[in-house]
Amino acid sequence: MANSTSILEWLGFRKASGVTEAGWGHTLLVGIVSFIYFLPVLFIIFTAIKPQDLALSVPPTISPTSLFGLIPDQYVFTPTLENFGSVFSRVMTPGGSPEATGFDRFFFFFIFISSVSVLLALVIGTFAAYGFSRYPLKGNDTYLFIILTTRMLPAIVIVIPVILMFRVTGLSGSYLGITLLYTAFNLAFTIWMMKSFFDELSTDVEDAARIDGSSEAKVFLKICLPQVVAGLAATFVFGLILTWNEFLFALLLSNADTRTVPVAMNQAVSSGGRGTDWTLLASIETLFLIPVFLVTFFLQNHLLRGVTFGTVKR
Amino acid sequence: MSSDALRLSGVSKAYGRVRALENMSFNVAEGRFFVLFGPSSVGKTTTLRTIAGLVPPDQGRVEIFGKDWTHEPIKGRGVSMVFQSFALYPHLSVFENFAYPLREEGIVSEEIKRRVMETATMLKLAHKVDRKPGTLSGGEQQRVALGRSLVRRPKILLLDEPLTNLDAKLRHDMRAELKRLHRQFGLTIVYATPDELEALSMGEEIAVMRDGAVVQRGTPDELYENPADTYVAGKIGAPHMNMIAAKVSKDGKSIDTPLGKFSGKQNLKTASGEKALMGIRPSDIELAGNSKSAIKSRVHLLEPLGDVTVVSVESGGETLRLVLPESKAQGLKPGDHTGITFDTNKIHIFRASSGQAIA
Repeated sequence: MANSTSILEWLGFRKASGVTEAGWGHTLLVGIVSFIYFLPVLFIIFTAIKPQDLALSVPPTISPTSLFGLIPDQYVFTPTLENFGSVFSRVMTPGGSPEATGFDRFFFFFIFISSVSVLLALVIGTFAAYGFSRYPLKGNDTYLFIILTTRMLPAIVIVIPVILMFRVTGLSGSYLGITLLYTAFNLAFTIWMMKSFFDELSTDVEDAARIDGSSEAKVFLKICLPQVVAGLAATFVFGLILTWNEFLFALLLSNADTRTVPVAMNQAVSSGGRGTDWTLLASIETLFLIPVFLVTFFLQNHLLRGVTFGTVKR
Repeated sequence: MSSDALRLSGVSKAYGRVRALENMSFNVAEGRFFVLFGPSSVGKTTTLRTIAGLVPPDQGRVEIFGKDWTHEPIKGRGVSMVFQSFALYPHLSVFENFAYPLREEGIVSEEIKRRVMETATMLKLAHKVDRKPGTLSGGEQQRVALGRSLVRRPKILLLDEPLTNLDAKLRHDMRAELKRLHRQFGLTIVYATPDELEALSMGEEIAVMRDGAVVQRGTPDELYENPADTYVAGKIGAPHMNMIAAKVSKDGKSIDTPLGKFSGKQNLKTASGEKALMGIRPSDIELAGNSKSAIKSRVHLLEPLGDVTVVSVESGGETLRLVLPESKAQGLKPGDHTGITFDTNKIHIFRASSGQAIA
């Protein structure tokens, strides 16, 4: 067995044996799959830096460089940053002068709204999750189920009562309203995620802290919370992505001044009556990707790390 | 009895319909190495958790050095505990694991540093204080768990199956280490274990548990020599005591077994005519060659264990096991006929109905 070389091994696929470096075959395969996944993102970024008239050209231009003559000239475009400029300021009416589009404000407020609502949900949700995990109520599962219903039902079912509630309370069209709504949405998801992380912790460790003289508050803050840092990071990122991509509620509950970026994006490309401006859309999307990309990038170690580090023998 | 470090009286605890402890009572003298011995889910852990204050008992009293702590908070008991799972703080370094209980006591940081390093050095962990528990070996994690309990100088140390998660070699080393620590600090230790070898080799006093209560307590010798019932007889001593169905004679002077009539030192008057069990330790049976007084038997199975050999023989329809030094077992083969004999003063007699020993 050990001496025979299978075709797969010959192709560079090393047999899995604990933590070893993968063979080049595996690496290549993963590389190809990753590239396929990345292709739509790459397409958006390239479209964002294309001259406007080449957006829908046939044959399509696919690369900003000829890759040392590898790609024929007809498929190569000259990159430009002009589109990014027109995200923030462009000619809105034919023959007019460039006007500010308000996108700087939309981006700023949307980043603010998303961060606040996700963080708020994380704080409240973590307390709630700890409670559900460590001090179960009678009918614990029922409460957890009810909390989840807001995320389980199709959004379109919930949207009408929410609109009515917002109208009555006067929250409609305000940033406060959107922030509260997103906090509520994130709470459900945060409580479920964090509860599963707390459930994974060994209660022996908490009892050890109690015997060492810790109060219940200290057990939570000094023992439990530091052990679920990876969970907090993961929940934060997933919550942020969910919030960042929300469109329906924002469309119905915001007004012209309080648009979220997804709504503003929609308005920007469909207004003006000249059809869809694809390079503009791609530029907004590219900018739209950056915040979530950065957060995910900086928290990726936490996302990948195991939760309990294997200190408790089970 | 003010010298008792610990006294449990009539402690009961139920989890829903599961009764974990039933009228559990025992006391531990100060400085004693006390072992709670019994199979898993017999209530050992619940007993320790009750002493530590993690579990409030439904009934009964827990006294520590004469003070009633039954419904008092955990803090201030002077009790520390080593968990079966070690329960180290995974996010803290070894140093911080040791320092944690001291910080909770509000000790100044120079003193913390001094005491942590002193304990770490004693447990040969001084060079690993910056490591996280997850990067240590099982034996090292065990020593960290022990160190964290010792560093705050508890009056009573509770150990919940601390060696269960270690491999055989380490377990042996740690047994010696724990005995040494006990001697060095003069601590009162309550040690829970399902392992008979650990109980007998470490305990100065052993309480054998069954169904949430103490069945018998005594020194290892007492439990070995005079088991109170068939349960204790079956738990203490390896290989286990041979049990032979028997009947006490009508006159109460002897006991009839398939091997013959025997009379030991017991007074059988109260059980005359009753069904009984006769127990005899494998190490109390000897080979007797072909002498006339010997009980005839046939060798059934040989299990060589190095310096001793466990020999199973059949006699009168019963299977008996005996432990022989390797030299004496040499030359025996399955199927051989041989005589066996034992000192009748070494026999144990139990009532068949209740399992209680007859003295």
